[in-house]
Parts: sequence; structure tokens; C-alpha cells
Amino acid sequence: MTVADVKAALDAEIIGAGDPETVVLRACACDLLSDVLRCVTREKAILLTNLTHLQTVRVAEMVDAAAVCYMRGKRPGDDVIRLAEEKGMVLLTTKMTSYEASGQLCRLGLSGCEHD
Amino acid sequence: MNANHGDPGVVQLLGQELRIRDAMNRRVVTISSRTPMSELRPTLRAHRIAGIPVMDDGKLVGVISVEDMVNWITDGAVACPVAERMTRSPRALYADETLVHAINEFRKFGFFHFPVLDRDSGEVVGVVTREDVIQCLLKRLEIDYHEEGIRHYRASHIFEDIVADKSALLFHYYIIGQDFEKAGSSSSGLKKTLQRLGIHPDIVRRVAIATYEAEMNTVIYARTGELIAKVDTNQIRVEIEDFGPGIPDIAAALKPGFSTAPDWVRNLGFGAGMGLGNIQNCADEMNITSTVGKGIHLEITIAINKERVKYETKKDR
Amino acid sequence: MKLRRIVDELGLEVRCAPRNLDQEVNGAYISDLLSDVIANAHQGDVWITLQLHENTVAVAAMKGLAGIIIINGRVPEEKTTERAAQENIPIMLSNLSAFGLAGELHRLGIGGKR
Repeated sequence: MTVADVKAALDAEIIGAGDPETVVLRACACDLLSDVLRCVTREKAILLTNLTHLQTVRVAEMVDAAAVCYMRGKRPGDDVIRLAEEKGMVLLTTKMTSYEASGQLCRLGLSGCEHD
Repeated sequence: MNANHGDPGVVQLLGQELRIRDAMNRRVVTISSRTPMSELRPTLRAHRIAGIPVMDDGKLVGVISVEDMVNWITDGAVACPVAERMTRSPRALYADETLVHAINEFRKFGFFHFPVLDRDSGEVVGVVTREDVIQCLLKRLEIDYHEEGIRHYRASHIFEDIVADKSALLFHYYIIGQDFEKAGSSSSGLKKTLQRLGIHPDIVRRVAIATYEAEMNTVIYARTGELIAKVDTNQIRVEIEDFGPGIPDIAAALKPGFSTAPDWVRNLGFGAGMGLGNIQNCADEMNITSTVGKGIHLEITIAINKERVKYETKKDR
Repeated sequence: MKLRRIVDELGLEVRCAPRNLDQEVNGAYISDLLSDVIANAHQGDVWITLQLHENTVAVAAMKGLAGIIIINGRVPEEKTTERAAQENIPIMLSNLSAFGLAGELHRLGIGGKR
């Protein structure tokens, strides 16, 4: 699955210069960033989160995630967008809630991340 | 803290293939031995350099360093020419010698910089510092990374050429407390460096996660901190020292869910009492000590398991 | 759909308020931020979170949520379950991730449209 598929499923918008062909392997709906860091199977994941600050991109970077999607129409600040572009991290925003977006992506066959 | 602490940026890592001319700074600032010591400081400062070759009539006669100047000031700053305070008959390196040689010379003499001479003409053609050597090696790695399309260097590869008995790369970062914007940039920098060194992605991720959690702890709770990563052929060892309130009861702090985080921290998605646990999960060894009112000293060791490290090229993808 | 059916279908472990499972679940909300739940969860939602703190119970009570499902096999603090028992708010545990659990709930027909 690619970011373009996610974008279509969530009726989302790509923020900044993210590449729609970026591969997404799994998804994680989480607002506790330490929990995102908790397991090591976040590689190429899309992170669905209610947060919008800079550390969403930092954490995604640390775990080698592919994309961050901001929920309920939220948009991050320019500094976040700049950092994401620098790190090659794709940012999206959708009007859906984390719950609805998770349902949509599960339906498409995307799996969750394993936890310990 | 260990002895490395007061020795930031010192790197002992070598390449047989690279020559000193690849690493040296060609903009050579020189000074005459007749220059008054009082004029030395502006010169050092203007060029942001630690030492200057002293040249008389096109010949290298000595080297004068920041340390020499500090000693001169300590001794009362009595007016005199550079000739009286410089190191005479200085050690110099030749531009065509290997970086391995430079590293060994740095170690042998404890110098931080050497003048570099052209072997044929004997002229000073550059100055090389320990930092120049590190920069050169890292830059070179990046070039190879692109040119050869090799995605992951074997971690051992960079160390294979090392002739010294013991070699390690040292990376030093400063962390500023309460600066939430900059938070994570040290871990990010370290992660990029480890990737460039060709450490296996799984190992890099574990180091990144552990250091990020430690860095966030420092940013949230402490005034300042330092992160030092030491990379050798067998392991990556990260030390984080912060200057802050410390942890009164480490055993309690290690329990999942334990947190003293204020609300602003929780609202940002941190401080749920998982940080130290995450570090423990990622590390092969973790050691934490703390003095209340002073700070925390955290050591993390992650082994580089050679068997698991792949040599992956573009066409494997 | 009644909360009880969700518990049965997904094999959730009920930690407290087991007699309060006959309420209707209207929807679901995933969030680990209390302020976000206060602002955006709807009455009758089941709240999916990995927050273990007792303050979750006060938020759930205030918003009239159907219950709290704690995910990733996490176990709430004792204070949290005690308080939930007092407030009659069911706390349920799941081994799934928030994402996986959302998929299961959608499959049962709990939509997320707002």
C-alpha cells in the first residue's frame, strides 16, 4: 500500500512535499509518543495521531515510520512541515477521527503494529 | 563521568586510503616568530583556529597554540614575541601521508592540530586537526554511500582499515532543557551518523529510540545535558548526563507508569511513565545513577551483532 | 449495539462495573489525551486508550461514555479500577492495538462517522 492509497481511503490531503508513492506497511493509532517508541515494528508505519507538534515527526523518524496523519482536520505548524520535508517524512491531514480512519485502513487490509 | 568527557570531539578512526591532503584545511594562516604575543589572540579568534604555524622566511620554525597563549596570560602576559612561547621544531605531517598516520600522530603527541607540508617543496600547504579527520571520514562515507549505491555499509567495514589497537568514534551533543523545539535533534543527528556508518537499521533504531527517550527526559526535567556516543566494532555505548533535579528513587522510577510529569508534558504525549522502560527494552545494558539536586547519569550499551549485519546493495531492494 | 455484545464478540476482559454492560454503544473514540477526549468524544462512545491513570474515569463519567477499553494488553492502576467501580464505568482490557481493535469494532458495525 502507498500513501496515495491511504490518502484516497481517508479523503486526506498531503501536507507539504510528501511523496504519494511512499510505501506504508502498517498503521498505529496513538497519542502517547513513548508508546510509539515502545515497539520496534513501526518501520514504514503510518502514525495516526491527535497531536500536531514537532515531536510527532521526531518520533516517527526514530522508529523509521513512513508517514504521520493528523486527525480531525488538524494541521501542524510550518516548523513541523519543514522538519518532515527534511527527513522525507510524509504528512497528511484527514477530517476523520483516529477511530474512523483506523476502520477504513483496516478494511483496506493494513495491519497494526505488534506490541510487547 | 569518564575521562572522555572533558575531551569532546576527539575521534580516533582511520582510513588507509585517504591522505592527509583530503582532510586538511588549505587556508593556511601563518604568523611570524617576531609577532608580539599580544597580537596573537585577534588572529586566532578571527580565523577560529586552535593553532598557527610560525613561519620565518618561508620556513616552518614552530607552532603556537591557544594553549600557549593561555599559559602566557597565566604567567602574567609579559610582552614578548611569539618566538619565546611557541613550540620549536614542531612535528609536521606530509600531505601525502595516510589519515591512519595522522591519527597515530595525534594520539602519540596529544596534539590537536599539525601543520601539513608538501613533501617535495617542504612548504606549509595546510593545517589538519582531529576534527578535520573526522569530518573527512564521515563525508567520504556519504560520498561512497551515494556513488556506489550501497545502502548499508557493514559496520565493520569502516573499522577494517584501522591499525590502532583500539579505535572508536566519539560523538558529542549538547542538550538544552525546556527547549521542546530542538528536543530530539541530538538523537536525530546520532541516528543519521550511525546510518552513515552502515550500522544495521535494527541496531540504529534501538539506539535512536533509547537516546531519544533519554534526550526527552533531559529536555523535560533538566536544565542542560550532554550526550556522548562511543561507537566501536563491537558496540555502541551512549552516555547521557543531565544537570537537573535528579531521581530520588530509581527503583520506583523504573516501574512502568511511574511518572512525575506535569500536565503540559502529558498533554504533549509524554510523561506516561514509559520512557525508562523503553530505554531498557532497547538496550543490552542500562545503568542509571542519580544525585538528587544534581542530575542523572545514564549509560546505555547496545551490541553490534555482526552476524545480523547485512551487506545490502541497491539491487537487493 | 449493547456493550455486552462487544465484550462477548471481542473476548474483552471486564475489570470493573460488570453489571453496567447493557448500555448502548453509539460509536467509539481513540485518544490518549484527556483534553482531546473532553473536547471531542461523544456521549455513548466507547473510549479506546492506553492511558491507565485514574483521571480517565472522571473524564469518562463527565462525558457519559459507555466504557473504557484499555489496549495493548495493558493493565490499569488499582486506583483507576476502584474509581471506575465507584462511578459504575466499565473498564475492559484488550490485547489488540488501538488500530486493530478499531478494525474489529468496525467489523461489528460500530461506525465512526461524525
